[in-house]
Amino acid sequence: MNGNSIEVHGLSKRFGAFTAVDDVSFDVRRGSIFGFLGANGAGKSTVIRMLCALLDPTSGTAVVGGHDIRREPEAVKASIGYMSQKFSLYGDLTVAENIAFFGGIYGLPKARLREAMPRVLEMAGLRGRERTLARGLAQGWKQRLALGCALLHRPEIVFLDEPTGGVDPVSRRAFWDLINGLSEEGVTVFVTTHYLDEAEYCNDLRLIHAGRLVGGGSPQELKRTTIRHPLLEVECDRVVDALELLQREPWVRELSIFGTYLHVGVEEEAEGRKLVAGRLAAAGITVSRLDRIAPSLEDVFIHKIEAQTKEPERER
Amino acid sequence: MSAEPGGRPFLAGVRPVIRKEFRQIRRDPRSLIFLLCIPAFLLLVYGYALNFDVKHVPLAVCDLDGTQASRDFSARFSATEYFDLRHRLSDARDVDALLGREAVGIALIIPRGFGDDLAAGRETKVQAVVDGASAMTATTAAGYIGAIIQSETMRFTLEVLERRGRSRFEPPLAVETRVWYNPELRSALFLVPGLMAFILMVIVVISTAFSVVRERERGTMEQILVSPVRPAELVVGKTVPYFLISLASAHIVLLLGFLLFGVPIRGNYLLLLLTMTLFLTGGLGQGLFISTVARSQQVSFLISILTTVLPTFVLSGFVFPIRNMPVAIQVFSYLIPARYFLVTLRAIMLKGTGLGAFGKEVFFLAAFAAVSIAVSMMRLRRSGLEERPRRLGRGRRGAGS
Amino acid sequence: MRQILSVIRKEFLQLRRDRRMLPMLFISPIVQLLLLGYAVDLDVREIPAVVCDLDRTAASRAFLAAYFHSGYFIEKGRADAPGAVDRFLDDGLASVAFVIPRGFGDDLAAGRTAPVQLIADGSESQSATVGLNYASLIAARFSQRVMVEAFERAPAAGLRPVRLDAEVRVWYNPELRSRNFLVPGILGLVLMVMTLMLTSMAVVREKEMGTLEQLIVTPLRPREIILGKLLPFVAIGLIDVILIVSVAASLLRVPLRGSVLLLIVLALVFMLTTLGLGLFVSTISRNQQQAMLTAVFFMLPMILLGGFVFPIENMPRFFQAVTYAIPIRYFFTIIRGIFLKGVGLPELWPEAAAMLAFGLGIFTLSVLRFRKKLE
Repeated sequence: MNGNSIEVHGLSKRFGAFTAVDDVSFDVRRGSIFGFLGANGAGKSTVIRMLCALLDPTSGTAVVGGHDIRREPEAVKASIGYMSQKFSLYGDLTVAENIAFFGGIYGLPKARLREAMPRVLEMAGLRGRERTLARGLAQGWKQRLALGCALLHRPEIVFLDEPTGGVDPVSRRAFWDLINGLSEEGVTVFVTTHYLDEAEYCNDLRLIHAGRLVGGGSPQELKRTTIRHPLLEVECDRVVDALELLQREPWVRELSIFGTYLHVGVEEEAEGRKLVAGRLAAAGITVSRLDRIAPSLEDVFIHKIEAQTKEPERER
Repeated sequence: MSAEPGGRPFLAGVRPVIRKEFRQIRRDPRSLIFLLCIPAFLLLVYGYALNFDVKHVPLAVCDLDGTQASRDFSARFSATEYFDLRHRLSDARDVDALLGREAVGIALIIPRGFGDDLAAGRETKVQAVVDGASAMTATTAAGYIGAIIQSETMRFTLEVLERRGRSRFEPPLAVETRVWYNPELRSALFLVPGLMAFILMVIVVISTAFSVVRERERGTMEQILVSPVRPAELVVGKTVPYFLISLASAHIVLLLGFLLFGVPIRGNYLLLLLTMTLFLTGGLGQGLFISTVARSQQVSFLISILTTVLPTFVLSGFVFPIRNMPVAIQVFSYLIPARYFLVTLRAIMLKGTGLGAFGKEVFFLAAFAAVSIAVSMMRLRRSGLEERPRRLGRGRRGAGS
Repeated sequence: MRQILSVIRKEFLQLRRDRRMLPMLFISPIVQLLLLGYAVDLDVREIPAVVCDLDRTAASRAFLAAYFHSGYFIEKGRADAPGAVDRFLDDGLASVAFVIPRGFGDDLAAGRTAPVQLIADGSESQSATVGLNYASLIAARFSQRVMVEAFERAPAAGLRPVRLDAEVRVWYNPELRSRNFLVPGILGLVLMVMTLMLTSMAVVREKEMGTLEQLIVTPLRPREIILGKLLPFVAIGLIDVILIVSVAASLLRVPLRGSVLLLIVLALVFMLTTLGLGLFVSTISRNQQQAMLTAVFFMLPMILLGGFVFPIENMPRFFQAVTYAIPIRYFFTIIRGIFLKGVGLPELWPEAAAMLAFGLGIFTLSVLRFRKKLE
């Protein structure tokens, strides 16, 4: 293989009249942490399922771990690990029983399973809780157990579908430590997420919206190159009124609201500051802070989506 | 069941639950079709396939006499549509093998000396050996033999009278047989009410038992519990749709029974509606009770099937007469609501009698319905509808919740 | 191979965890067999009858005695007038009524025809038919006896009376216990209901819970998943067979004349068909409710059309043909044969072969249908 774990060309999936995934193409380098970022319903899970040979694509091809997903689905399954969005291990089996079961399924000989069990327990932080029923675990621990079971057979590629959904921030951080560790060992990690902060941890990102890719690259690259014009952060009172006012101004390149702040894109920094301050003051809105900021991934994402909806042009 | 003081009226939460339940049912067309059509479909199948009338039973004749008399006699059997002559045997021991293979249902053994004994006025006996697999075959054989004996006797009487020169012919007995409610003794009239009770019971209990447990298993129960809906309202809301569907299904069955099999409703339709409602409510109650006991859909399904299918089929009096059963089992049959329903069905549909004839059964039906619903509600109120924290080791529920 | 064992172990663990399953799997078949085994009885005896004897002579009493001593009828009440009989029949207190008019005895003595009325409640047409058949036989015998007596009092030259009678023997069942035939049938029914229900939920359950997704993303092959899920039920079914055969033979005292080993082997073959059918249902259903209704849809016709209590030869040709596709039809023949007739494989091989063919067929069909895909 040429350094790519996964190669995808023109993958599409239609369910009747509804197109869930529309002509998606990308490559994933071995050992990287590859992220698929998008809102719920954007098509992330569908893509993962196709790559895991759980769904047949309507058109397009993909090669995962050296095997074609259409022609060698079982070979694909043998070389990957998968963790689904919803907890799909056996709630009425204990932690140890789940691990033993999946170990057996993947054909681990007894000796290897004996060795793998404590390793997985340690990694998941579940030592001492072997006899707990899986459904008795808190959400974060469930996810870690699921990850552990997906890694039992030491696959070269791991697919994680929204692995940290519903998990507290501390556990999330711990989870990502695990993922980083995997990547260091040379395992390719394919993650889908709708958490922007998590997207920052990936080596390579793809932004997906309504089944189409709208942007891609490393997080740093995306932040640096997507939004070329200056971005101002405005903190004021009556944020919603301020939003409505600025929306009507022609010199505003882009505009979005972030809780109690506004992000305003302008042509030139100095000029922009004056215009913003002036306009808001004229309406009697008090501005407490006006700073230039570097674009975050969220800014990038919103920018891309808006560009997409204004001009449906595909990014490759 | 009182309204909350200063709160929402009781049953306010019922309507949205009913609506949701109906929507869910509509979205799962296969299940809905099954619920409506299985009873009708089964009625069709059974109504056409099943009857108790015994005809064309395979017959073997072993004529050890070989006289004209014996040949005439065996011809009487093979000539009728009740029996089909399949084998002629010369050795009585061959009967064994034929019956063992279920190749024949009845073997007629005519002993040596049959003709002589008959002519001499001595006692003559033939043997009809019947495969006990079909109890009806034995009785049909008995009935038919009786008819033959009767006609032989008549024939002799005629001879005697002719010899004596009398022209009048007076057989000793004239038995006039009248059959009420079912003059042609059509099995359909007997079976259709029984089938109705059997099928409805199974369907109602299963679908109700499922509906509550399904929510619990899917986790949507939690969401409902967090709302102001009270357990009682939830239960009523979930069972009403199935009650209505079962009622509709029952009427389809009635209609088909009438159109295709001529099963009438000679009695009061409103009475029929009343007993049907009580019966269905009892089934709902049983289903509800099961749903409070089962934690998973799998278990609720098992319990439902185990408590309805075979018990109703055997113990309701549908096929096996209850009075034949040992007393202990008869007592048990009091627990089967189909038993009472069947009596009322036959009374109303076939006999056209009024409440006086089956008031006892109506009382039992009402009692069953009331008790099953009450017990279910009690259990629900006490334990709530949520998943209990698992206590490995004790197995039984702890006190309170 | 190792993979199948893993799945089997998981299934057993899950079954053991659910407290309610264990008694249901092993206790309920026994309870069912006992309950239903004692209940099934098609022997006709003691049909309740109401009598309206307006004659009240020795002759009428002799006539009635012929009926009530036969064991087939039992006197439940007396009516004073023919119209009063109605109440008994309407209320279900009696299934038949005998009405003997005044002058019965005189008619008989004088050699005149003596009319008698026999009324039957046709709403229970089975009892009515049976009752009427026996009544006919009894009446014929009585009639003949009268003739013989009359003849002996005044014999005609050269003529001999007709003294024809028949002995109706029911084989394999000398005590005339219909239960001996019905209980083995119940055995088959209980087995079928258990195994069919269990497997029809087996795969769908995982589908609905979401765990199936995790299973099919592994290298497990369809046949490994299926075998792994079904073999535990085979084991359970086997234990059930042994349990209920023992109960039937010991507590219910049904004679077991054939080979127990053959019975167990053929029961396993039968289970192949029910497990296969349940599995098939599981693969064509989207959720557990659908699976359950579909299983019921298959199971109810099989119960009634299989030949348990409604003879197949009575059915219209079309339905008779249909029953060839019902596995339990063959199993009923087998089980009755082994229990009561003591027959073995030489006689039963066609049935065994039919079941085997059905089982393998539906099994293969299910495995082929089971795609390791989500949609």
